[in-house]
Amino acid sequence: MTDMTMTNTRATRLRRLNLAGGIITGLTVLGAIIWAFPLYWAVITSLKVEQDVLTPGIQLLPERWTLDNYIHVLTKTQAGIWYLNSLVTSLAVTVIVVLTSAAAGYAISQLRFPGRRLLWWLLLASFMVPIPALIVNHFVLMADFGLLNSWSGVVLPQLIAPVTVIIYKQFFDSVPKDFREAALMDGATQFQLFFRLYLPMNWGITTALAIITFIGAWNQFLWPFLAVTSESKMNITVGITQVYDAFGVRYARDLATAILAGLPLAILYLVFQRRVTQAIMLTAGIKG
Amino acid sequence: MAGVNLENIVKRFGAVEVIRGLNLNIPDGSFTALLGASGCGKSTLLRMIAGLEETTDGTIRIGETDVTHELPAKRGVAMVFQSYALYPHLTVEQNICFSLSLAGVSKAEQKTHAARVSKLLQLDQLLDRRPAQLSGGQRQRVAIGRALVRDPKVFLFDEPLSNLDALLRVQMRLELAKLHQELGTTMVYVTHDQVEAMTLADQIVVLEKGVIQQVGSPLTLYNAPINRYVAGFIGSPAMNFLAGDASLGGTPLSIQLQGGGTVQAKVNAQPTQPNVEVGIRPEHVRIVAPGAGHLPGTVSVIEQLGNTSYVYLDTPAGPMIVEADPTQSHPAGSQVGLDLDMAHLHVFDQSGRSLSVTV
Repeated sequence: MTDMTMTNTRATRLRRLNLAGGIITGLTVLGAIIWAFPLYWAVITSLKVEQDVLTPGIQLLPERWTLDNYIHVLTKTQAGIWYLNSLVTSLAVTVIVVLTSAAAGYAISQLRFPGRRLLWWLLLASFMVPIPALIVNHFVLMADFGLLNSWSGVVLPQLIAPVTVIIYKQFFDSVPKDFREAALMDGATQFQLFFRLYLPMNWGITTALAIITFIGAWNQFLWPFLAVTSESKMNITVGITQVYDAFGVRYARDLATAILAGLPLAILYLVFQRRVTQAIMLTAGIKG
Repeated sequence: MAGVNLENIVKRFGAVEVIRGLNLNIPDGSFTALLGASGCGKSTLLRMIAGLEETTDGTIRIGETDVTHELPAKRGVAMVFQSYALYPHLTVEQNICFSLSLAGVSKAEQKTHAARVSKLLQLDQLLDRRPAQLSGGQRQRVAIGRALVRDPKVFLFDEPLSNLDALLRVQMRLELAKLHQELGTTMVYVTHDQVEAMTLADQIVVLEKGVIQQVGSPLTLYNAPINRYVAGFIGSPAMNFLAGDASLGGTPLSIQLQGGGTVQAKVNAQPTQPNVEVGIRPEHVRIVAPGAGHLPGTVSVIEQLGNTSYVYLDTPAGPMIVEADPTQSHPAGSQVGLDLDMAHLHVFDQSGRSLSVTV
């Protein structure tokens, strides 16, 4: 084969590759547009004047731009309080879940005590029970404790997180025992081992789990919806349904509320994208 | 500083007895190597001294104190692990000062200790680095520094050089020897590498299946092994063992080598059976002309090391290695005679006991 023919063959092959790559890219872009369009539509609609929302035809850009819908939601509803409620309850859930799960994971992984295996099996078994199946029990329990319409009432049932315990146990299992023994020889107590060795050595997994727990807690709807009836104790996810109820179907305003509700999570996701992906992969691995 | 005394030490893992009624005295200030093949119980023994492994039976004393059931941190020992076990999230300085920090020692005092240790181990330029940014030798030094900062009565080393390459291993061996000379602290060193044990230790303990085979200085073990296991384990290349028939009752013992001549060996005890093994080190055999010497041999392989060469031979009494003059040529397949230096013969009876030395 001459040099010229070889060059031609290579060029043809490259052209074919380019074509295939182009088609795949095109399809991906199309998929992204289809996926992102409702989001775009929501943002654009929230920036329209209410009267312009239901005009015939598709307006890809508003005729009249306005921030009134956002101003209304932020000033005329209790959105600020709902944000605060969401923030407090989500942060509480995150901190308590991460700390207790790490401690439980450490105990099951590293300590030898009677009933350790039984505890592990119970944990695995509890993981098989879907949380919605327990929701009536949770409601009765919280009502008995007088914790409905309170932050504690929203937080407590969300602290059941066997998946995070399992993940921590697995990570602590994989820490080479030499580290533990070296620290024991250095005079470390169990608390020092936990706080100064095992937790810092697994810092990546802690941040990943904290972010995904926070997102989960922020997005919670069913339980906060049942546990809270007082508007001043509602989370943002529940609160936005009140906007709908109070004003009837006002699409621009409803969508502005929805966007405001999801905005903190979107920012959180953008900042910690890699950690969130890592956490999703970890939990998916466990659940799979 | 303190010595270590082990009395009737037993260790069982379930039904498996790993250490069997072991007694050992590690003198104050000595460098003692626990030497043996994999699974002989040497690391288990070290971990029992460290307190990382419970002692099933017996007593461990460090100095005059019974520490058998004491917590690891309260024994006054420090350990260097095979994997170094440097905390990856801490800097070199924080690693060195970890034990002090746990004990609540002030930051300023920690700095002083870190400076002292890092100067001794030439780590002063590396204090801000993390373990991942260090070479194998540097990590090893940090691990030693972490042990050193605690001013222990006894240092324990668990195969600390086995993760290093050959060149670095020699260098670190030298540094450890110097460190021992400088500190004079008791050091207990586990290794399966007899060269490490021979070069570093002033006392070697050879273990097999949880039982001490022999305790002694490197040269004692080399020149006067009390059984076939020790004779074969100490020395590189290993001792040659030749099958022979002894004439019972005579002194010196007259032994007819299988397929060869007769040798006379000085013994301190008589064999009960005529079947014996004659042991001789490679440097005590001379290659002579075919037909001469005590044994005929056929050259199979030659290893040229420059300053010396090792000739591998097949003989009627068994395979042999001979240390030979590197300037002499011995082509593979050539027939030679082998002359044994009778002043350096070791005789082992059927149980493997040496008849050549007083037990």
